[in-house]
Amino acid sequence: MTGKLKKVGAVLSMLLPMAAGPAAAQSSNPITIGVLTPLSGTYAPIGQQVKWGTELAVNEINAAGGILGRPIRLIYEDEEANPSVATRKAEKLFQSDKVDFLTGVVNSGATIAVGQVAERNDRLMATTVSLSDAITGARCSPNVFRVNAPGGMQALGLAAWIKQNNPKARVFAIGPDYEMGRNTVDGFVKQAKELGLNVVGQVFAPLGEKDYTPYFGQIRQARPDVLYTSTAGNDTVRLFTQLQEYGLRERLTIVGASVAVTAQNIGAIGAAAEGFVTVAGYSPDIDTPENKKFVADFRKAYNADPDLYGADSYGLIYLYKAAVEKAGTTETAKLRKTLEGFTWQTPQGPKSIRAGDHQAIMTVYVLEVRNGRFTIKEKIDGQTAIGPDTCERF
Amino acid sequence: MTEAIEYLQFVLAPQMLNGLTIGVAVVLVALGLSIIFGLLDVVNMAHGEFYALGAFVSMSLYGLGVSFWLALVLVPLIVLPIGYLIERGLIQRVYQHDQRHVLTLLLTVGLSIIMEDAFHLIYGPNTMRPENPLPGSTEILGVIVPNYRLFLLAVGAATIVATWLVIYRTRLGAMIRAAAFDKHMTASLGVPVLRVYAGTFAFGVALAGFAGVLLAPIYSVFPTMGHDFVLLAFTAVIVGGIGSFYGAVIAGLLLAQIQAISSLYISPHWSDPLLFAIMVAVLVVRPQGLFNWMGRS
Amino acid sequence: MRPANPAVSAAAPARARRRLGVRHLAVAFPVLSLVFAGIGAALGETFYLRLATEALILAGLAISVDILLGYTGLLSLGQALYFGLGAYTAAFLLGQGAVGFWGALLASLALATPVALLAGLVAIRSKGVYFILITFGLAQVAAKAVYNTRELGGSDGLVGVPVLQADFGLFRVDLGSPVAFFLLMLALIMGLYAGLNYLMHTPFGRTLVAIRSNEHRVRFLGFDPWRYKLAAYVVAANVAALCGALYPMLRGFVSPELLYFKMSADAVITVILGGVGTLIGPIYGSVALVGLRTVLGSWTEHYHMIIGALFMLAVIFMPRGFAGLFDRSEGDPAQDEGEGT
Repeated sequence: MTGKLKKVGAVLSMLLPMAAGPAAAQSSNPITIGVLTPLSGTYAPIGQQVKWGTELAVNEINAAGGILGRPIRLIYEDEEANPSVATRKAEKLFQSDKVDFLTGVVNSGATIAVGQVAERNDRLMATTVSLSDAITGARCSPNVFRVNAPGGMQALGLAAWIKQNNPKARVFAIGPDYEMGRNTVDGFVKQAKELGLNVVGQVFAPLGEKDYTPYFGQIRQARPDVLYTSTAGNDTVRLFTQLQEYGLRERLTIVGASVAVTAQNIGAIGAAAEGFVTVAGYSPDIDTPENKKFVADFRKAYNADPDLYGADSYGLIYLYKAAVEKAGTTETAKLRKTLEGFTWQTPQGPKSIRAGDHQAIMTVYVLEVRNGRFTIKEKIDGQTAIGPDTCERF
Repeated sequence: MTEAIEYLQFVLAPQMLNGLTIGVAVVLVALGLSIIFGLLDVVNMAHGEFYALGAFVSMSLYGLGVSFWLALVLVPLIVLPIGYLIERGLIQRVYQHDQRHVLTLLLTVGLSIIMEDAFHLIYGPNTMRPENPLPGSTEILGVIVPNYRLFLLAVGAATIVATWLVIYRTRLGAMIRAAAFDKHMTASLGVPVLRVYAGTFAFGVALAGFAGVLLAPIYSVFPTMGHDFVLLAFTAVIVGGIGSFYGAVIAGLLLAQIQAISSLYISPHWSDPLLFAIMVAVLVVRPQGLFNWMGRS
Repeated sequence: MRPANPAVSAAAPARARRRLGVRHLAVAFPVLSLVFAGIGAALGETFYLRLATEALILAGLAISVDILLGYTGLLSLGQALYFGLGAYTAAFLLGQGAVGFWGALLASLALATPVALLAGLVAIRSKGVYFILITFGLAQVAAKAVYNTRELGGSDGLVGVPVLQADFGLFRVDLGSPVAFFLLMLALIMGLYAGLNYLMHTPFGRTLVAIRSNEHRVRFLGFDPWRYKLAAYVVAANVAALCGALYPMLRGFVSPELLYFKMSADAVITVILGGVGTLIGPIYGSVALVGLRTVLGSWTEHYHMIIGALFMLAVIFMPRGFAGLFDRSEGDPAQDEGEGT
């Protein structure tokens, strides 16, 4: 009998911490922000930058007295780039940790799903990474804000750059065969055609394709001068190095989405990355005192350069600070009203939130890889790059 | 007419040649899988992770200043004892169970979860890539072939022959085949069956590790790389016939060729369902595999 | 760890004792859950109640694996296929406003049955390792197809599944209330448990167990093992699809990740840790694993390694899982009606 009691006890003790968890009261009165970002898996390096950028801003703000005199406390959870894990963790952050605000989600599907969780818990969230145009378009949510440059914004900038530099170019597009990849390629091809560029072909390779050589025949036959790609991570590493292996790399100008070549995979791509052109919202080379200070502080704290994810995440915390201070509260409805149309300062320059779809209007840059670094070639004004507001929900 | 020649030269011929090099890569991964599967009757779900292990160990060796050529020899020698210990310490424990198929498979699933997370912990999540030791390309009949892929074809062929020799022409291979055929009889002849099992497993995963070093310059190195070839390698083993050495080789080359050609004429994202459909069809029509009649000796 | 070979003569009393031990677990679970729900409701807790509800939904997937593995000896590494099928059917129809609570459940069953019949026809034909690899490959291909289908939201999945009212004639359950949803799910999973437990002790269930032990003997006795296996496969698929259909009602969305290998593998891990061939073990396993993941996951991002290690240790040292601790017979749980092969 005692043996049985022990077993029941063991079961109870398994369940008890679940029940006891939320009872721990919040002590002082900090503002809590949930950072739900990939800490493990393929996207962990992006999560790393998100974490660093967020943390740096919070440390600075806390050292300067917090927001409305309240310190900020960050609670991290692993998003695992998986929407079902992300929603579960988002509910934990909203319901159990009672966070005031949520950021960090990377996977576009997860951002959309977590946005719905935020709505149902009447809290606000922002993404600093997700590219899918749907987040501030067809699937926009009144509780979701985006402070990074979405895929559509990049396509527009790239097509314009090609037109300007090589109007007669034969353009070929390659993308990963899934929603985001198709969207980015379609968006780019549409823009390119509108500008009168000669699009000579496009191909979609399965996500996680190990060998791109089966597509080289088509590429070779189309004889392009410019190759557009929206592959990401390891896929880009393979695409670029295999192009180089086959001697195709040097004949092509490669342009692409900002996810294609990043601080995370540029080392593995090596020399094949040289000359790659993209459009993104940030480069450590932006020549302003604010950015120089940001880069220096970031390097000092983490011994690494910030990339666009780190910079966008850093800027977001300052948006939250400025908006809460203006609204005088963290309360959802009032803060949302304040955020709509709000302009604030970041190391990237001023950004403002478009009221109609909650997308940040920001300057974007045409960047080129030189000696393993993204260098600025050109600056595109936010108003020209942002495109129309397609959100119909609010 | 020129168009047809151009098509052949720029599209079809390179496509088939690329299919061949991919096929050799698949066979390199599938060989170890086939040996472990066919001789030990263990479905090694962690085989892809051993392939990754080889690649990661090679990256560590390069960090120590070891050359690619030396790593090619050293890595299998490092993976070999790891495989031996894992088999003796873990997998052998469930051989006596009446559900050994299921249990060994589950153990290797657990192993793959742990290994993948360990790679991530030790090496970080960023993609790495060793320098291509043989850059440049050669033109053969107007078709451009990178030198490293030619090297891959040669080494792949040599490895297949060497593996065949080990299994069919050495005393060790005879013991392995005997132990797989009749464990008790072999044991009564004084063969240390359990050690032969462990040795076979170690040999199989060392082959995977070797493939890891060999393919890293083309396919790069990252924690989830183990998923890459496994489905294709499993398909090759099944289509070829479990335990059939030639079957795995022929099926691996054939499937890669089918994939290469189908991605040209049908949309590339249909190539996986196509391969799977072939596997299912083979299982339904000829469960012993298509090429099994050539294999067993 | 123990030889799985009870003497046939000792099987009957051993079975009685075993079922007594496992039955205690089956009674303890709803009691503990009601206590938990009471505490949760009193504290106004939301997150842990909803987490526990998800654990029960996932328990359904684990039970589905257990029906096949524990009673028929078939390991499916692709059971998430049916969970995802149910989830997508429900999410798609609910998102259109085409059906309500019952309609969504019925639709997912109506779709899962023919799919399982078709897949089962192929998969069951192939034994052992082949069955495992076919189920594995089938789920992989299906996940890829969903990932590439724009009508199903592609890689983004489907959101916007409304919060439902479940109409039970006499009363309505508001699925927006965490306590109500938890209690509904508890009733459902215990109902599933009771129903399946009954089924496994009918002649049908006993034949399944006999097939698992010795398929040849069953064939000689004049039964067609193939039909029984197919029936078990379809039942298991329907259990998975039913619980899958409840997932979007709780979380409000579906995504292709629901069909991934990780889902299927997690279900198998749950069954092994909870106790294979007991039906109640997987329910305990699911609650424990979901809890463990949440606790460990907040603490370290390398919890996969810990769970992987736990799983391997369980396979080697405790192949009968948590519920096996309560099973005082010597044999392998579902196997006491025959000898091991």
